[in-house]
Amino acid sequence: MRIGRRRVVVGALIALMLVLPLAVKSAFALDILIRILLFAFIGTAWNLLGGYAKQFSLGHSAFFGLGAYTSTLMQIDLGISPWIGMLAGGVAAMLASLPIGWLCFRLRGPYFTIATIAAAQVLMLIFLKLRDFAWGAEGTTIPNLGDAPLMMQFDGKLPYYYVVLLLLLVALAITAWIARSRLGFYLVALGEDQDAAEAVGIDVPRVKRDIYMLSAFLTAMAGTFYVQYIYFIDPQTAFNFSISIEAALVSIVGGVGTLLGPLIGTLLLETTSALLQSWLGNQAGVQVTVYSVILMAVILWRPTGIMGYLAEVRERRRLRQGIA
Amino acid sequence: MLEIVAQAVINGLLIGGIYALVSIGVTLIFGVVKIVNFAQGEFVMIGMYITFFLATQFGMDPLLSLLVSMPVLFVIGVLVQHFLIRRVLGLNDLPQIFLTFALSLLILNIALMLFSANYRTVHTAYSDEAFHFGGLYVPVAKLIAFGVAMLLSALLWAFLRATDLGKAMRAASQNRDVAQLMGINPNRVFAVALGIALALAGAAGSLLMPFYPAYPMVGQVFVLMAFVAVVLGTLGNVVGALVASLLMGIAESLGIQFIGADSGLIVVFLLLLATLALRPSGLAGGHTR
Amino acid sequence: MKRRQFLSSAAGTVVAGALAPYVMRGYAADAVNIGGLYPSTGSMAQIGQACVTAAKLAVEMVNNAGGIKSLGGAKLNLIVSDVQSDTTVTRTETDRLISGSKLSAIHGCYASALTLIASEVCERAKVPIITGSSTDQLNKGRHYTFTPFARASQFAKAQLQMAKLVGDKPRVAVIFENTAFGTATSNGLKELAPGEGVEIVMFEPYSAGFTDAGPLINKVKASGANALFSVSYLNDLILIVRTVKQVGLDVAINGGSGGFVIPDFYKNVGRLADGLLGVAHWNHDVNDAAQKVNAEYKKRTGEFIFEYAGGLVAQTFMLADALERAASADPQKVRDALAKLDASSGYAAMAPGGKVKFGPDGKNVYGHPVGVQWQNGDLVSVFPKEDARGKLLKT
Repeated sequence: MRIGRRRVVVGALIALMLVLPLAVKSAFALDILIRILLFAFIGTAWNLLGGYAKQFSLGHSAFFGLGAYTSTLMQIDLGISPWIGMLAGGVAAMLASLPIGWLCFRLRGPYFTIATIAAAQVLMLIFLKLRDFAWGAEGTTIPNLGDAPLMMQFDGKLPYYYVVLLLLLVALAITAWIARSRLGFYLVALGEDQDAAEAVGIDVPRVKRDIYMLSAFLTAMAGTFYVQYIYFIDPQTAFNFSISIEAALVSIVGGVGTLLGPLIGTLLLETTSALLQSWLGNQAGVQVTVYSVILMAVILWRPTGIMGYLAEVRERRRLRQGIA
Repeated sequence: MLEIVAQAVINGLLIGGIYALVSIGVTLIFGVVKIVNFAQGEFVMIGMYITFFLATQFGMDPLLSLLVSMPVLFVIGVLVQHFLIRRVLGLNDLPQIFLTFALSLLILNIALMLFSANYRTVHTAYSDEAFHFGGLYVPVAKLIAFGVAMLLSALLWAFLRATDLGKAMRAASQNRDVAQLMGINPNRVFAVALGIALALAGAAGSLLMPFYPAYPMVGQVFVLMAFVAVVLGTLGNVVGALVASLLMGIAESLGIQFIGADSGLIVVFLLLLATLALRPSGLAGGHTR
Repeated sequence: MKRRQFLSSAAGTVVAGALAPYVMRGYAADAVNIGGLYPSTGSMAQIGQACVTAAKLAVEMVNNAGGIKSLGGAKLNLIVSDVQSDTTVTRTETDRLISGSKLSAIHGCYASALTLIASEVCERAKVPIITGSSTDQLNKGRHYTFTPFARASQFAKAQLQMAKLVGDKPRVAVIFENTAFGTATSNGLKELAPGEGVEIVMFEPYSAGFTDAGPLINKVKASGANALFSVSYLNDLILIVRTVKQVGLDVAINGGSGGFVIPDFYKNVGRLADGLLGVAHWNHDVNDAAQKVNAEYKKRTGEFIFEYAGGLVAQTFMLADALERAASADPQKVRDALAKLDASSGYAAMAPGGKVKFGPDGKNVYGHPVGVQWQNGDLVSVFPKEDARGKLLKT
């Protein structure tokens, strides 16, 4: 049974991801894995809005940063654990997505994209100025608590790996559930043709708003994790444009609007990046040059991404076998 | 007080001229080819480096180097259209936006490889000079840049209005299918559009060199302003982009003067967000969402 | 029997004698690893690359002088890592360096955000880190972080005092770039100005990487200032200095540190730089040792050795001094030896004031900045009097 086989494959993948870090000896490799999982998580969150609903946001760093700052403020000012702060950050991002969405959703296509970029930039500028409330441009380090799991600080890298793995699995589960639900149907419909979707009676503004909130919530959680991992926060790091870029990028390369697209995309891009770094070393610009050439190649020849390509292959095979 | 305002307006107007050259290119490409060119800033950067090398190797004045940078970038534009843009036409937004974005990354990093991150400047006789009248001052280099920018914009406008190719471009931008039915070759039109847009970017670069340093990341600074101007002036509208750029330059300058020197960007963005909220299709309106 | 015994013992002695140098060299060949973390790529690449050059020079100097004698002449082995001007990379590279090679100590990273992260990783890994970064946060609640040079707050005081060098009633306009470097330093200026008898008539952050300095300099003109303090990175400084000239504004410019004290500044603004004042935590005319380092660096790169790069050469010697006293490559022992450092001669004491001794918070109790002035394309120390190596040019 095809469905049964899929379950087995998924189970095997999850099991693999669970034991992988134990087999990996070097801290550097573990770092790469953590980075892969983190960006796969951010990409999956983005994919809900940008992949399924085709609302192409390049401003997700706004939510990442809000999550990061919320949990850090709660930790340093109120002594509240980042675990709770993570959820609070998600709520803050959700609330922020309402006015931002109201503004940006009035537009379509590239207009919308530019508006999201602007919104994220404004947030960075605001936090650069918030000196008394949030350390301003200088940022701050989080207090060194050594091994404090309840405060999301761990000795060694392994626990961080499992935390971000958990986040990714949750995001994937949510995506899988939505994709099969009525909301998922609405998302794809409005992504294909917004006017037609509206004509058939779908409440497009509400669907957009809801998925934006969810996407924002998840992205914010990534922000919290990130601060706990690098021990430092400042506006330029937390609201960095490159986060918005990578969130969208991994989905495009892997295949927008697919469940595993972002994960596959991240795997490809991050491992390529790491390999390039070890082969070509660190001469300025070499690595990203090759990286962007690969990117352009994917966009030019396989715009539906890797998952799209695999789907085409499967479709062709199916047709050849004469199955409708 | 009036003097302060006047000086701020002058400053803003002059830098607005540069923003105009960059944003006109972006809006032209969007209007005709329906693609947002995220790499426009990098072509400005290429223009700057061309001028830098001509100045340091041959002692060529930046103004003269326009005669080199503009044609070179025109050719690059045609090549970009032929080898890259052509392949993603007809697909949806995502690959189109990401193609130009990847192109921007590529060019920026090649520049980093070739030239390193060092700042390169060109010093001309007029780099540090300014005209003084009343209590006001007008930097010479910026005035020249503004003048040439306005001249090029006027030439473009005349081209679009009066020549056959220009009219073909406007037709293709308004309705591609009908234009094709009328016998207009879209690829040729697109190539010219890309060529002109990039030539304008190159011109902006050459004009900047006397008073602004060149370095690989320089394009990013200008492209952001250009994008806002393009949306403000309505995507696809060349005159709109020009007017919006000048207004933005002035708004930024007044913001710096009266609100705070780090508020320039916020003022501009708020202007953008306000426009999007109240008049989403931009100041010129007209275009459908 | 006796002869055989004698012969075997003689043979044994001869063999032992022949092997001895090999055994001892084997012991001495155990190099000591120190890590150097700098942004050789990305936005701070110019500076990072200069730092790496200086780091390699420093290690060569230590090794040519015999290495660490208490460890049998062990050579220093510098392991450089590029932090790409990026915070995540700093985190992972610091970790990778520490876990991948047995490090005795680390130095880096120039930028305050990057250094803070590296410091956090080092504190948790219990490896000592020594740095010239001036951010005051580095001295809060740490045990493995050492800062032998002036702190951000001290720069501010020096800048204010220098304002009085050029005029009795300085009216200062302070402009600063709106990220970490600018806000930290400028805050110190605001707090200390009243105490130094300096009036601040304008205090304004500006957007780093702006396209036009015109409006900003306009404001400076309108404020009636006769001195301008600019806390900026290089590209902004170029614009600011040139615009001041264009506007025809007559102000004494004090460019602080940062982009102001690197050779590239002069390369880009030329003669406009002459006479301009700045503040640095190290300069190549601090003492003869520094001039020697400068001469060697100039031979290799064609430029004078700038503030941070020279400082890290001194830091390398401080590490060597600590290793010498610890007689061990163990990071904990090195850390303890570093905490007890008391240098007043030699390359390890290359600092304004000529003395280095760490307090409990990792600060150098003798640390203070030196005021510098551009004169003919070179930076000359002009303030305070004890540290002045050249005359102050009046402009």
